[in-house]
Amino acid sequence: MSTATLEKAVAAEAPRKQKVILAEGNEAAALGVALARPDMVSVYPITPQSSLVEHVAKLIADGRMDADIVDAEGEHSVLSVLQGGALAGARTYTATCGPGLAFMFEPYFRTSGMRLPIVLTIVTRDGITPQSVWGGHQDAMTVREAGWIQVYCESVQEVLDTTVMAFKIAEHHDVMLPVNVCLDGNYLSYGASRVELPDQADVDEFMGEKNVNWHVALDPLRPMAVDPLTGGTTGKGPQTFVRYRKGQCRGMQNALSVIEEVHADWAKRIGRSFAPLVEEYRLDDAEFAIMTLGSMTGAAKDAVDEAREAGKKIGLIKIKTFSPFPVEALKKALGKVKALGVIDRSVGFRWNCGPMYQETLGVLYRLGRHIPSISYIGGLAGADITIPHVHRVIDETEALLNGAVAPTEPVWLNEKD
Amino acid sequence: MGRAYSTIAFDPAKCDGCGDCMTACAQAKTGTDDIARSRIQIYGREGAADKTFELALCRQCADPKCVTVCPAGALNKDGTSGVIGWDATKCVDCLLCTVGCAYAGIALDEATGHVAKCDTCDGNPACVPACPHGALKHITTANIYNEVGDWEDLFAPGLAGCQGCNTELLMRHTLRRVGPDTVLATPPGCVPGMGSVGFNGTTGTKVPVFHPLLTNTAAMLAGIKRQYKRVGRDVQALAIAGDGGASDVGFQSLSGAAERGEQMLFMVVDNEGYMNTGMQRSSCTPYGAWTSTTPVGETSRGKTQDAKNLPLIMVNHRCAYVATASTAYMEDLYDKLDKAIAASKNGFAYLHVYSPCTTGWRFPSNLNMEVARKAVETNFVMLWEYTPQDGLHFTKPVDDPLPVTDYLKAMGRFRHLTPEQVEHIQKKVVENQKFVERMTEHAHVG
Repeated sequence: MSTATLEKAVAAEAPRKQKVILAEGNEAAALGVALARPDMVSVYPITPQSSLVEHVAKLIADGRMDADIVDAEGEHSVLSVLQGGALAGARTYTATCGPGLAFMFEPYFRTSGMRLPIVLTIVTRDGITPQSVWGGHQDAMTVREAGWIQVYCESVQEVLDTTVMAFKIAEHHDVMLPVNVCLDGNYLSYGASRVELPDQADVDEFMGEKNVNWHVALDPLRPMAVDPLTGGTTGKGPQTFVRYRKGQCRGMQNALSVIEEVHADWAKRIGRSFAPLVEEYRLDDAEFAIMTLGSMTGAAKDAVDEAREAGKKIGLIKIKTFSPFPVEALKKALGKVKALGVIDRSVGFRWNCGPMYQETLGVLYRLGRHIPSISYIGGLAGADITIPHVHRVIDETEALLNGAVAPTEPVWLNEKD
Repeated sequence: MGRAYSTIAFDPAKCDGCGDCMTACAQAKTGTDDIARSRIQIYGREGAADKTFELALCRQCADPKCVTVCPAGALNKDGTSGVIGWDATKCVDCLLCTVGCAYAGIALDEATGHVAKCDTCDGNPACVPACPHGALKHITTANIYNEVGDWEDLFAPGLAGCQGCNTELLMRHTLRRVGPDTVLATPPGCVPGMGSVGFNGTTGTKVPVFHPLLTNTAAMLAGIKRQYKRVGRDVQALAIAGDGGASDVGFQSLSGAAERGEQMLFMVVDNEGYMNTGMQRSSCTPYGAWTSTTPVGETSRGKTQDAKNLPLIMVNHRCAYVATASTAYMEDLYDKLDKAIAASKNGFAYLHVYSPCTTGWRFPSNLNMEVARKAVETNFVMLWEYTPQDGLHFTKPVDDPLPVTDYLKAMGRFRHLTPEQVEHIQKKVVENQKFVERMTEHAHVG
């Protein structure tokens, strides 16, 4: 290869100039949606998601986004409209949270069974009752067994970039599953940050060809019956059903490597990289670690830095991809530490602990390790998880190394704030 | 496919032997009032306890014996109209034809010395409107068969509806009419229950078909239609839904789609309950009706509330087209189907078809059309149509309705009714009629 050709090749791969803007998480998500060029968006407002769909509507009204927008009469219809659109070949998007997600659940569960690559941002909100319009992960956690991919973002920039990547992941032919991009209500939705906006041409090259209904369609040019009844206790009925379920599980497992590939491709083309499944922060020589999810990770990293300066051998494990649960990647991280404090922003009622904590216990079993650990539950209903909160987690987890006995109940971080 | 023809039908139960039909015929065909020269003859039945009547009239047979026996070739069946014509220039007045006919449909007119027979007055028979009791009807539904008979039936043979159910008829007619460039939604209920979407990988439909949820039919169809519109393809969005999914749990998405003017035809097959699931009550179930969740027992005598009038609610969405229809009035239904399809190209079209349920309403399976007809003749249901431009008007007005008991007694689901309950229903029928009449009077408001 001549020098000139080499230079040309490198230049072509370098990302085009990116505009720098100030944006809230909801606006960043809307901008990410616009970059992905969906055909159809359906919306219904709910706090703290509302400004996201307002931004989408404005982008369309201003001609900056060429999509059919359907202001449906509720979240149930929002997702149903998109299912119809996807079956007719449309790239589709919506956003919701909390009670809206609960209302949407009937078509929500069905989306993954039909293998429709719909992208849905959950601007996470705590579950009622008592009434709360504030942030928390309870909504997204409650629907985690519905066959959707769920990724959590740490920053506004990650929201924008992940929103675009979500379409690529969902539509990958080895995956064909819907994706939730989860961004923390209040902390990310309304938190304004410096954001770099990728160039549309770079994103177009990244996205490639669109084909979302090659596998299932409602199209007179290739007629088929979609979602026929299955029946009988043996034979074709149960066999068909198992084939569907196994296929969904296979798609979820395929997604683990696809998510990694897509993040690597994004880094190459756009110039920004994020840990796709599990991020290890200052973990290599750590003796103990804390685990985080979503926007709390920012404060947690600061606390870890301070603890490191104070000589503590602490590291941090951040989960980005919660569904499918990244068992292998987490095994790798957990193998490095001897005690663990896991911070959840939601409640696992059945085990009396945080949902992420409970899932992590399963990974430790797979790893064959029994290390002391504590389940922390914090940041409910909009409460902040601050650096002092994280220091408490760090100190109590460190104490486990020195023989302290882990409580059998979860520790409620904001109980006495 | 062969042709079907219009015919004149006679209902002896309605005939009182007044002879007005004969006078009308004599006037139309001979210019006299001499009913002996009428080509339709009404005779008192010999020996009957009550005075009853029978009809002598040419049936315009498919295999006419009068034509076969004619030695002169003077009688011929017209392939287009189906009418058996008589040619004076060929007839030799032998009268063999009058012997060949079993219906006394051709007879000697002594005034002319020739035979005379019904020619249906070129498709507009004078006798029919002359009957003051509605005992004569000119049945022209054959035109539907002639029009659509050769169109492809887009459902597979062997759909598994209950015996006597009219829904399969409705489905096949509808899909024939909309044609293959259609996406069909059949939410849970009898329509998919009889195999339209299919079981275990088979399907009963030749166009793209799917089960929406019971709750989201209109929303899913809206998404499909919008995407095809976006890419410039003309695809008909069609729902054939039950009354439960439309009036109860699916009402929100139906109302939302109608308000947004989504371009689709939404057809509700109203059998007044959740019949496929086991005949439970819906909000379209009428007052007093037995269902499996409004049972009849010591303390309960059927449903205690009146039915929700879903089509009128749809009128208040100002849909592009709203109509009620009945399979007992197929021409009316077909006319409305055509208009609804046309309207759905630009907006939301809603067609509400009353569908008697042999199983859930408890009546013999051979009486479906009769029950459907009685519902209209008693004004229990009213057939009308609405457009924002022309407002609401009746298409089959029944000014002199039969008592509602004529309808109620046809079904087991009303068997237990007390006189008070029957009175309530009759009162509601009158009230509903007046309510809709007032809407017709204000047709052009707005």
